[in-house]
Amino acid sequence: MGSSEKRSKDLMSDIPTFSAENLQNNLKVIQNSRTFLSIIAGVLAGIIGFNGLTGFVFYFVVMLITSVGLMAKAGFSADLYFDSLNRVLFDGFLGGLMSFVLFWTFAYDLVHIF
Amino acid sequence: MNLGFVVGVIGVLILSHAAYSTIQYRGLLKIMEEEFSRPPMNVLLELIVGLALCMWAALTFPGKFLSIHPDSDENRTVSLPDSSEFMIFNHRGRLFPPQIDMKF
Repeated sequence: MGSSEKRSKDLMSDIPTFSAENLQNNLKVIQNSRTFLSIIAGVLAGIIGFNGLTGFVFYFVVMLITSVGLMAKAGFSADLYFDSLNRVLFDGFLGGLMSFVLFWTFAYDLVHIF
Repeated sequence: MNLGFVVGVIGVLILSHAAYSTIQYRGLLKIMEEEFSRPPMNVLLELIVGLALCMWAALTFPGKFLSIHPDSDENRTVSLPDSSEFMIFNHRGRLFPPQIDMKF
């Protein structure tokens, strides 16, 4: 009985297991947040009237603020919710860029070119 | 879920009101024949407020983070998938007498 307890405890500490469906849920949450915020950032850039490189700088600034916000939501201890920190910070960056440019041109046309 | 959704809708409404104000401002500039450099200060303030509200809604509306540790307090039950392949019928219930008089 003692040896079987020791064996199960060794198994638990050797293989790093985590609940995969919870991880998937967390990734979906980040994806949704980033997509929504890149759309909002696009609309904002179009309203203000950014032209060229300034708009992309604005997008990166908004994404950095989003990363800080997501880290704050995870309580600054990403180990509890994710397997690697890179996922939290850099996951939906480029996917949101396309939505940003789409809504940027859309809002710019609506407000400035009519 | 509800509060985040309402805050997000309010943020989007504020942004669309700011867009409308900018369109009107551009019409005014066209009349006065001046160049458009940036929206007026109250529109910029409105945009910042709208951005803050939408950011708060985007962080709270999609859902909470769930812990991925297998031995944390909220992951105590592991649910098997609900497919019919995991149902077993060869358990002790087959030894029950087939007729049970149940009085309600």
